[in-house]
Amino acid sequence: MKKFICMLMSVLLALSLTACGGGNGGKETTEKSEVQKIIAEAQKMSLEELAKKAIEESNGKTLNAVGNSSRGKSAWPLFVEYLKTIDSSYSAEMNWQQPKNNKIFDQLTADGLKETGTFFMTLIQDGAQIESKMVQTGLLDTFVPKEWAEANSITPEQWTGYLPLQTLNKIFEYNNVSGKKYENCWDFVAEGEHGLFMGLDSEPVGKNFLLMLTKDEYAAYLKDAFDKLPAAKQGYFKTVIDAMESEAKDLNLGENGKYALAWIKLWVNSFNEQTDDGPICNTLVKKSAANQFGLLVYSKVRSVEETEDTSVKNLSVAAYQDGYEGIGGYGYCHYLFVTDNSPLPWTACAFIAYMTETVDGFSAWGKDLGGYSSNPVVARGTEEKFHHSEGSSAKVQCDTTKDRGLDWWEKQGKLVVEDPVYCASVAFTVGSWIETLDKYKPE
Amino acid sequence: MSKSMRIKINSIKTYLSKPQNVILILTGILVTITTIAPIVAIVKDTFQIHPGTIDQYLSGKATGYTIVNYIDLFTSRLAKTNLWDPLINTTILAIGACVFAILFGGIFAYLVTRTNMAFKKYLSSIFIFPYIMPQWTLAVVWQNLFNSNAVTGTSDGLLAAVFNIHMPAWWCLGMFPCIIVLGMHYAPFAYILIGGIFKNMDANLEEAATILDTPRWKIFARVTIPMVKPAILSTILLVAGSTIGSYPVPHYLGLPTLATKYVSMNVKYTGEASVIAIIMMMFGVAIMYLNQRSLHSRKSYTTVTGKSGQITKVNLGARGRYVVAVVFIFITFFTSIYPIISFAFETFLPNPGDYSFLYTGNPNNLTTKWWVTAENISENGMYGQMGILHNKTIWNAFKGTILVALICCLTAGTIGTLIGYAVSKNRRGKLAGYVNSMAFLPYLMPSVAVGAAYFILFSSGNINLFNTYLALVIVGTVKYIPFASRSALNSMLQLSGEIEESAMILDIPWRKRMMNIIIPIQKSSIISGFLLPFMTCLRELSLFMLLCTQGFILSTTLDYFDEMGLYAFSSGINLILIITILISNALVNKITGASLDEGIGG
Repeated sequence: MKKFICMLMSVLLALSLTACGGGNGGKETTEKSEVQKIIAEAQKMSLEELAKKAIEESNGKTLNAVGNSSRGKSAWPLFVEYLKTIDSSYSAEMNWQQPKNNKIFDQLTADGLKETGTFFMTLIQDGAQIESKMVQTGLLDTFVPKEWAEANSITPEQWTGYLPLQTLNKIFEYNNVSGKKYENCWDFVAEGEHGLFMGLDSEPVGKNFLLMLTKDEYAAYLKDAFDKLPAAKQGYFKTVIDAMESEAKDLNLGENGKYALAWIKLWVNSFNEQTDDGPICNTLVKKSAANQFGLLVYSKVRSVEETEDTSVKNLSVAAYQDGYEGIGGYGYCHYLFVTDNSPLPWTACAFIAYMTETVDGFSAWGKDLGGYSSNPVVARGTEEKFHHSEGSSAKVQCDTTKDRGLDWWEKQGKLVVEDPVYCASVAFTVGSWIETLDKYKPE
Repeated sequence: MSKSMRIKINSIKTYLSKPQNVILILTGILVTITTIAPIVAIVKDTFQIHPGTIDQYLSGKATGYTIVNYIDLFTSRLAKTNLWDPLINTTILAIGACVFAILFGGIFAYLVTRTNMAFKKYLSSIFIFPYIMPQWTLAVVWQNLFNSNAVTGTSDGLLAAVFNIHMPAWWCLGMFPCIIVLGMHYAPFAYILIGGIFKNMDANLEEAATILDTPRWKIFARVTIPMVKPAILSTILLVAGSTIGSYPVPHYLGLPTLATKYVSMNVKYTGEASVIAIIMMMFGVAIMYLNQRSLHSRKSYTTVTGKSGQITKVNLGARGRYVVAVVFIFITFFTSIYPIISFAFETFLPNPGDYSFLYTGNPNNLTTKWWVTAENISENGMYGQMGILHNKTIWNAFKGTILVALICCLTAGTIGTLIGYAVSKNRRGKLAGYVNSMAFLPYLMPSVAVGAAYFILFSSGNINLFNTYLALVIVGTVKYIPFASRSALNSMLQLSGEIEESAMILDIPWRKRMMNIIIPIQKSSIISGFLLPFMTCLRELSLFMLLCTQGFILSTTLDYFDEMGLYAFSSGINLILIITILISNALVNKITGASLDEGIGG
């Protein structure tokens, strides 16, 4: 047995050292790739022109795409219908994959090694990882549709950053059966509170939320909210805030960084980790969840079925309550990219343009509340069609299901919005500090 | 040609004239490649710099190789959280689950095979249900039963909602439920392996001890237990290996283990996660080393000979046989029947975990929408999904699962049986020892790590098999060969050489000896070796979750719905899986006369 182990180890060592001579996973980006050249051309075209190119390129083919949202699959048949209005003979199937456990990044990295990739485009979330794993390595390219840019009063070339399909919001919601109210975002980290939230490892955008809190403008939100707390409540938090002063300096944060770190510390120490936003919503809408709250995707409230035990009316949106102070939730984006080795780049550009420039193209997401198109024209059209502000898209119309829209959320709702570059820049400073914090375990 | 050359050629010819030697050479090459390749991939990954992860940050380089993953994992201030605590938890969990599985499964195997306990046939069939079901579904059942808003902060489980019973946190989450759930899941392993030996064991040895007036406990300790020792060791190997690599149960029940850390760290600590995978593999090698030592020290395990065999059953008494049976009927109700009732019930709840029907009796608080809804345009409270009967994702995944399970069972079963036979024939040979060890290594490697290693292997520019059934079949075959090889080896070791020798004297060719003598004698064990890969494949998650997306096979689809909290769908899929396995078991039983438990309890 000893000989066997020695032999095995020797073989492994030899093979590993040999393997170490291999290449790397990233791509050198010295000059424009073929796909980037096509994107540059496509950015000058209208949707209709792109559609014609797509028909030429992909008619009769089967396409593969990968995304964090399963609804890309629902958008495809609508796109095919649109192409059929230009050429009735057009047909194309699409396999839409939705990997879990963050595997989308591994999948795209692996596919990026090929000369011609499997995936023609992707819809992806988590700005921090996109920046460091996908964009800096040259695996994904941003295509900015001409009419989308026009709707945002810019040209495609003027747009910096990635192309967002939509902003989604995770918001603070609480069970109102007992009459208990949360009037300040610091109430969510008060002693004895245990909010329901997805694990930071299983959904990295949740961690991005915490990272974003340390950015100056959001740290300022926290300071303002703290200042508005009654003195009796401030005492408990003050000790922690003061203790965070040196940490904030070590982490090179701004003057209000200590407020952000204190809130993060108290949150990580107290939140009750759940596998998904679905179970969080299911818990909070029940009578038994009196005095509980969570930070969850807003759109989940749409599917609650009314019974004796369960009602969406048992749920209140913290930021909708009069007098509420501080951050109301977190906004993050679904971004659209063309893969740098896309087998069908014109079709990718046309599909992306269709989803971002038309109400129909966005309807796979737009039919539900809590998802806001990045195109203001489409956002308006979506509201006209689905009336989210009246709660029409939900099973029950009440204050909780009446979506006030992204503009409201960003201004009055004090939504913390993900900034991929900022997240990537603090991922291993603030991010590593977060990992050292003790996590809550029910006792 | 020189004389020495002729002698060499002749000796090679003689060597190759024995079928077991040819099998050993061929399978030796196969298992070397399939075992070494993923290990090399993982080892390489520990040194590689991954863009956007800690190694890039610490090394300051975007590409190339570094040892910072090792340094950071073992020495950073996160070492306790990321390594030492999960390592301790994994060790305790593996030991706990082994002890529970062997005691529970072993005692049950003894009662079924060596006593006159009542209702054996029913109990034998029902006992294997927890193994049929995906392991984490028992964890979900545990949560649905014991969680409570007051203790775990989640929705009330059944006990809290209906009876206002709140179980303590240690009962609901962490080490205790993980040991129980994994122990229950793997107890059928112990039952099948230990029961197979008990069933075939000649009672002459025990009777000889009885004639010599040996006390009953001493007979059990000195005669019975040593005879089932290989099966116990096999159970320990299989259960410990599986437990160390189990991701979903600790994940759902909130216990940080090496496997859960591997998955969670993979996002930003990719290289360090691979170091953790190597540590898990070392666990596997250590277990195998202990097993090898034990194999070398043991005496003889021949329990089936050409002579007559008989089994005398311990009489539990007229009442005792029913009392013991009722105790097991009660236990198996909760381990096997209740989960099925619970799954079925969940598919009729209007909201996941909404048990209002139970205390209101209002039929409006039940629904059939999770089964029959045929569209996903209007808001049906189903998160955009169609009902199970109309859900293409579920049924395509079902087809994929059947395809993968069938091919894996045939390939792994055949290769494993041949390895078991060849190793048993050449037990003391170095090549046999090597093949046996190498074939077993993948099983001892944690499933998530094997899946990750093959993901890396199959994700190069030249070979890209991600999300293909071929990838699942290759990995499933490699991983499940030990099921068949261990099962075959155990049974072949019991088989006295004189049986095959007498056929050889009559000049009967090897193929006929196998088909007409060896396989029929040890049919139940060999078919177990085929059925185990089939059943395991049907509900495998840890191994396949990195190699394909949800909707590709049922287990990933089931996990997706479980994670999303759509328990009606995951419960419905569970029911589909259980029915599939029961039908398969019945079909195999009908066609071959054998089944997973039939050889033991029937």
